[in-house]
Amino acid sequence: MNKNPKLTGVVTGVVTVAVVALLAIAGSLTLGRYGATLAYTVAIAGIGALSLNLLIGYCGQISFAQGALLGVGAYAAGSLGNAGADVFAVLGGGIAAALVSVLIGLPAMRLRGLYFAIATLAAQAILEYLFKTVEPLTNGVSGLLVKPLTVFGVAIATDQGYAVLAIICLAITWLVLSWLMRTNLGRAFLVVRESEIVARGMGIDVARTKMTAFAISGFFAGIAGALLAFTARLAHPEMFGLSLSVDYTAMIIVGGLGSQIGSVIGAVFVTLLPEAIQRAGESLQMADLTFAIRELMFGVLIIVFLVFEPRGLSALFRRQKGVRPRATAAASAKVA
Amino acid sequence: MKRQLGNALVALSLGIASAAAMAADIKVCIWGTITGPDALVNGMSYGTRDYLEYLNETQGGIAGNKLVPLLLDGRYKLDEELKIYRRCVDQENAVVVNGWSTGAVKALRDQINSDGVPFITESFSSEVVDPVKLPFIFIAGPTYEQQIGIGLQDLKDKGGKKVVFMHGDNEYGRGPIGVVRKAGVLEKLGLQLVDAVEFPYDTQDVTAQLLRVKAKNPDLIYVQGSTPQLLVVLRDAAKVGLPAKLFMGNLYNISPAIPEQLGANANGFRAIQAYADFGSNIAAMKEIEAFRAKHEVTRQDVYYMKGWMKGKTIAAAIAASVKKNGGKVPADIKAFRKSVRDEFEAIKGLDVGGIAPPLDFANHQGSTRARIAEIKDGRYVPVSDWIESR
Repeated sequence: MNKNPKLTGVVTGVVTVAVVALLAIAGSLTLGRYGATLAYTVAIAGIGALSLNLLIGYCGQISFAQGALLGVGAYAAGSLGNAGADVFAVLGGGIAAALVSVLIGLPAMRLRGLYFAIATLAAQAILEYLFKTVEPLTNGVSGLLVKPLTVFGVAIATDQGYAVLAIICLAITWLVLSWLMRTNLGRAFLVVRESEIVARGMGIDVARTKMTAFAISGFFAGIAGALLAFTARLAHPEMFGLSLSVDYTAMIIVGGLGSQIGSVIGAVFVTLLPEAIQRAGESLQMADLTFAIRELMFGVLIIVFLVFEPRGLSALFRRQKGVRPRATAAASAKVA
Repeated sequence: MKRQLGNALVALSLGIASAAAMAADIKVCIWGTITGPDALVNGMSYGTRDYLEYLNETQGGIAGNKLVPLLLDGRYKLDEELKIYRRCVDQENAVVVNGWSTGAVKALRDQINSDGVPFITESFSSEVVDPVKLPFIFIAGPTYEQQIGIGLQDLKDKGGKKVVFMHGDNEYGRGPIGVVRKAGVLEKLGLQLVDAVEFPYDTQDVTAQLLRVKAKNPDLIYVQGSTPQLLVVLRDAAKVGLPAKLFMGNLYNISPAIPEQLGANANGFRAIQAYADFGSNIAAMKEIEAFRAKHEVTRQDVYYMKGWMKGKTIAAAIAASVKKNGGKVPADIKAFRKSVRDEFEAIKGLDVGGIAPPLDFANHQGSTRARIAEIKDGRYVPVSDWIESR
């Protein structure tokens, strides 16, 4: 009996993701509202981190506009949801963010490296300004109030419901991006990241490859933004500032650049670490102290990881399991 | 005799045991900006926590039930605040929640209604005050718009006419000014808006804008901004020769940082004052001094006074609810929350030890009165009586 190892790998991957997702859903359903809130917060951050990892980790395009792209997804999905677009509002958020992401990516045709990163920073600032000023679409500085999401006519009324939805979206994002990285397009992303000259030499259309990366990354960022709007019931300009972009960049660096599992671990770490520090402080009757040092400890821990394990938490876990770390973007950068 | 004594001891110990069994902890959840951009005014959170602790120490809580204030840090981040709300309501089973930002209370408005939890917000946005649509949400003073109205009324009373509005480009800055302009408040008072200046909320220089303002020769420049913004505005005003006496801010601009950092250039600056300052000769200050004798009070400002006042209000509503239930804490948290909300709304003429005029919460605001304070020789001095906003 001949087994197709490629097919077996895919099936194993899908089953593993499905099992993990089901366990996460079961867990979030039993944790109560607060636990469910943490679950969807982590899942949404995971989607956003996976999307940014595609762009920076796999395709080598540094972007600081992730926060604004989540904002585009949030406003678009919120408006569509309020207009009765049902669950398709979430997809609409993804599509809107993909379109804007492609626009942001246009300078990538001419700019590279830090110059391009600065261009995305400018895009973040412009979008933040538009969130505040295009009042007919965004309701300006007051923010857009968002109605509960409906799925085929049934409104999601509980945090547990949103946790289930966010975990399903995270699982789908994971599977789609895993599949993508096994295709020629995925491999083209990696070649572009390593060397655009080599990519051209191999016959890869570099500009189109980059734009495709922007579109796909933007789409998933928009999905994350849409979920953020529906869970917060608000899309507000102050939710999508530069600090959000920095948070997402921290997630993929701490988790391990160019690693999907690293992105999710980074999302868990960045989202839950401040909470864990706070709870530890409360249990030790030192809450006032941990209020003050929580951000400091968070920053120190990130620096420690960057110094002692630049390939991120994913490499740390692999090492614990005795698996040789794969060549990641961070490792490539170090070698270069 | 021995038997009688024994019986008495048994009865006493049973009584104590049953009282202990009946006494319940009453959790009040307070989240503030302990760290974050608004940390300058976080005495509002510490004051509330300290009053509830003071009540535990001096009166054993409420009807023998200990109050458990839980102070958390929302960091002025919406996602953090939304997370904390769920912790307060779902995990901690708080009977009252004291939240912080306008964004959070707007995002949570429906959930607060469906959870049926009395919610006091530090926001003064008129958007969150609606006893009919938002029956569980309360604020503790005049809205931003009402504060602007008090400032404009004062200008009219003094015979002034020309007004300039300056505000940040965020919701806190732009929102209330927009409401006042749309409502035609200036026109109704016979005043004239000669300019409106919007600046970035993190601005470091407004010299150019103030030169433009100076050319308009206004009688009042009302600034809807936070204290860091006021520091920039008043510093640059001195540079271009606009005296501080032309400027007026809202109740978040009663800050020692303004006279401390600007010195003589701050003299004459006026701000809306809804609560007595720390150290005032009022009854509440005696309580605070008694508390301070045993504990460190890190925030000694007008915001701490507001916090202390909120603590008194929360305690009054809970006490009335417990009293109605025969001195016992209702076992069902939902019923307890609903009862406390009703008692909140029923508060009438509550004496808060002189921190503010007696409070009525039928309108969900407590008080709609404020006075004007002016910086004189480095201190805020009230220069008006309590003015009712209209």
